[in-house]
Amino acid sequence: MHNRLNHFFYSFILLVISPLFLCAKENPEASFAKGNSQYAKAQYKEAAQSYEEVLNDGYKSADVYFNLGNAYYKMGEMAPAILYYEKAYKLTPGDQEINLNLQLANLKIADKIDAVPEFFLAKWWKSFVLFFSVQALSVFAAILLLLGFALLIVYLFAELMIIKKPAFYAGICLIVLGLLSVFIGNLQNSYLHNSTQAIVFNGTVNVKSGPDEKGKTLFVIHEGTKVTIKQNDDNWIKVELPNGNIGWIESVAVKEI
Amino acid sequence: MKMKHYYILPLLLLWTSAIFANGIKPGAQDVKVTATVSKNVVGTGEVFEISFSVNGNIESFNPPALNGFQVVGGPNQSSSYSSINGNTTSSMSVSYDLVAVKEGEFVIGPAIVGVNGKQIKSNAVKVKVVKGRAVPQGNQGNAAPQRDQVADGNSTDISKRLFLRAIANKTNVYIGEQFSVSYKLYTNIDLVDNALDKLPDFNGFWSQEIKNNNPNVQWEIESYNGVKYHVATLKQIILFPERFGKLTLDPLAMTFVVRQAAPSNDPIEQFFGGSYKDTKYKIKSTPITINVKPLPEAGKPEGFNGAVGNFSIGANLDKTSVKANEALNYALKITGSGNLKLLKAPELTLPADIEKYDPKVNDNINESMTGVSGSREYSYLLIPRHEGNYTIEPLKFSYFNPSTGKYVTLSTGSFAVKVAKGDPGSNVTAYAAGGQQDVKMLAKDIAYIRTGNSGLTRDGEGFYGSALYYVLLCTGPVLFLAAFGYRKWHRENNRDIVKVRGRNANKVAAKHLANAGKQLLGGDKKAFYEDVYRGMYGYLSDKLNISAADLNKDNIRDQLKARAVNESLIDQLTETLDLCEMARYAPITSISEQEVFDKAKAIINDIENNA
Repeated sequence: MHNRLNHFFYSFILLVISPLFLCAKENPEASFAKGNSQYAKAQYKEAAQSYEEVLNDGYKSADVYFNLGNAYYKMGEMAPAILYYEKAYKLTPGDQEINLNLQLANLKIADKIDAVPEFFLAKWWKSFVLFFSVQALSVFAAILLLLGFALLIVYLFAELMIIKKPAFYAGICLIVLGLLSVFIGNLQNSYLHNSTQAIVFNGTVNVKSGPDEKGKTLFVIHEGTKVTIKQNDDNWIKVELPNGNIGWIESVAVKEI
Repeated sequence: MKMKHYYILPLLLLWTSAIFANGIKPGAQDVKVTATVSKNVVGTGEVFEISFSVNGNIESFNPPALNGFQVVGGPNQSSSYSSINGNTTSSMSVSYDLVAVKEGEFVIGPAIVGVNGKQIKSNAVKVKVVKGRAVPQGNQGNAAPQRDQVADGNSTDISKRLFLRAIANKTNVYIGEQFSVSYKLYTNIDLVDNALDKLPDFNGFWSQEIKNNNPNVQWEIESYNGVKYHVATLKQIILFPERFGKLTLDPLAMTFVVRQAAPSNDPIEQFFGGSYKDTKYKIKSTPITINVKPLPEAGKPEGFNGAVGNFSIGANLDKTSVKANEALNYALKITGSGNLKLLKAPELTLPADIEKYDPKVNDNINESMTGVSGSREYSYLLIPRHEGNYTIEPLKFSYFNPSTGKYVTLSTGSFAVKVAKGDPGSNVTAYAAGGQQDVKMLAKDIAYIRTGNSGLTRDGEGFYGSALYYVLLCTGPVLFLAAFGYRKWHRENNRDIVKVRGRNANKVAAKHLANAGKQLLGGDKKAFYEDVYRGMYGYLSDKLNISAADLNKDNIRDQLKARAVNESLIDQLTETLDLCEMARYAPITSISEQEVFDKAKAIINDIENNA
């Protein structure tokens, strides 16, 4: 009887506790560092595996995506490289290096699609909205609002005019800036996450006029091209290219960013 | 048309001979054809003559087979007319110069001669050939082929008697490996004319023709497939394949006019060297397929730019110490055999401050059947722009050696250059104003990976959108509202001056009687009264702004009266002060200490509230 209890006890440890330790065994930071050293030794395939371990553990950061994109770029696989650069871009859209690498990778794919030109003000506004990452903006917003209201409180209780006046104006300014940060953060978040985008992974994809194998082929896109997913229908998705062309492709041909 | 013309001459001749025959006493009965030889016994290699003479006009002549002899001259013809006393006799003879080739006894068969419409056979002649001097087999270096020198081919097919051959010395080569192709003409037939139709294109090859300075065609006798031919080399070309795969060399096409003996019944034509026919033939050489292999990828050195062959290099620098902005000459010489002419100038890596000009190329290259060989010299003009000690790094040159199938990398020595300060103003032409240069962008590559803090977050754990974020956002306004509310309450509270005074008076009394309170708790009565007394005096001194030394009951009463404090309160105050004074000398029993303390406190509060 006693033996049996013991047996249960050990099984419990084995089945429930040890997987927890297994998960914790490979520290994601260590995997990241391992990937970096493998990349430095030009072992790009191993480096990519290490970075993917980090992602598989449920962690993410712009740097991991960026480095993984670089590893795929060095292996000559442009589609995953672009996919991960795009993921890194979504986390820190204002990062110049990510944009540079993304541009270089896009030069190496088969399709050259000219985006519909944007009005310069819209372009400026976009780059302004995307300049800071949403995480940075949220930190700014919290700090600015706290400081702003703190200054207003100072204004409420200060006796001397020389403190009262500047505290009031500075407080109002900080609060306005803080609210602006909240606003821009929300704008950026909706810009980046409301439209689902995907990268083509199949070598050649026929874009059909409807969600049907027998439909007319409107145009052909190739590996590495970015599409915007407009609609889902079973195994088919309606995609739009940056130049405005729209058609249907099978959803297995792409990977969502 | 042509045939008609052909027969006019014999007809005319027949007609004239008929006239003659009429006027001449016919001697047709004794027309005779005699074959005679100048010698019946000849040595091999000795020239002798055979002649067939006829005492009449030869209308046709069919020579016998002259097997075993070479014809070195003839047919020569001679004729003689003699008229004696009206009798005209004519005789004609045809003779050949022969050289016996083989020893033995030969019978030269009868020649058939047409005379006066009759076919008359000559007698056969016996010739005995004994061993003599060697027969020269064709004269080497003769400018034109002599058909009779070469034994007659037993085939009449023209393709066996006249053809072109393309001969490559290798058919399995690497890209860039040189090989030679020669186009040869084989013939044992009489050629009258020739014309080149088409030179091969050599698609896929870089070609280099071997130049022949002799304008005359050199004929040689060569045996091919057991038959002897006159052979002329028409073209010799060195080829360098430029791509791999099975490449075919186009044929060389030529047109020849061939003169062939044609049997004819016309005796005159026969007489004047026999009848012949000129025929045009278009001849093509057979195409050759060359198997070109790609250069192996394994072991391909960096900077390899297609040199194939066998080379050696040497470099030299004309000066090792110069002043800035003075020219230096760096010469690189590549010697060997291979695709020298196709070599690209090797990339000379120099310190940034030495300017380099495009190299001058100096070739000393020979082409022969063994290949292209010689040397190529690149001379670079270098101009150091600033003083300093520079090193010209060794230049690496790599080539593929097809005979070993391996890559070879050669390296020159390095050179140290000492550059002294240049003459002032000598760099005026060198740079634009300011002497600045743009930093050159050499290549584009992706930015390097991030190695610092990874900034890892769990999925959905970002600060944005988290509970903490919203809490922090709300904290500011909430605190502000709280502060605002507090201020409002505070102001409300302080609006009633009497209440505030009361609150404050209590505080003032408490402050001054604090020590007394301590003594009360400690139970030291004497000290307690002392402290109450001192506390009240202290309070009055503060309140009435009179120094403690000047303070006495009279001026306290006056001052308090002036401040409209009512009489009873002043009386209470003086009472209490008296009580405290008394208690210093005698114990007090009429009133407890606590009552005194409360009284003192109440008095201070009252004064505070009223004054």
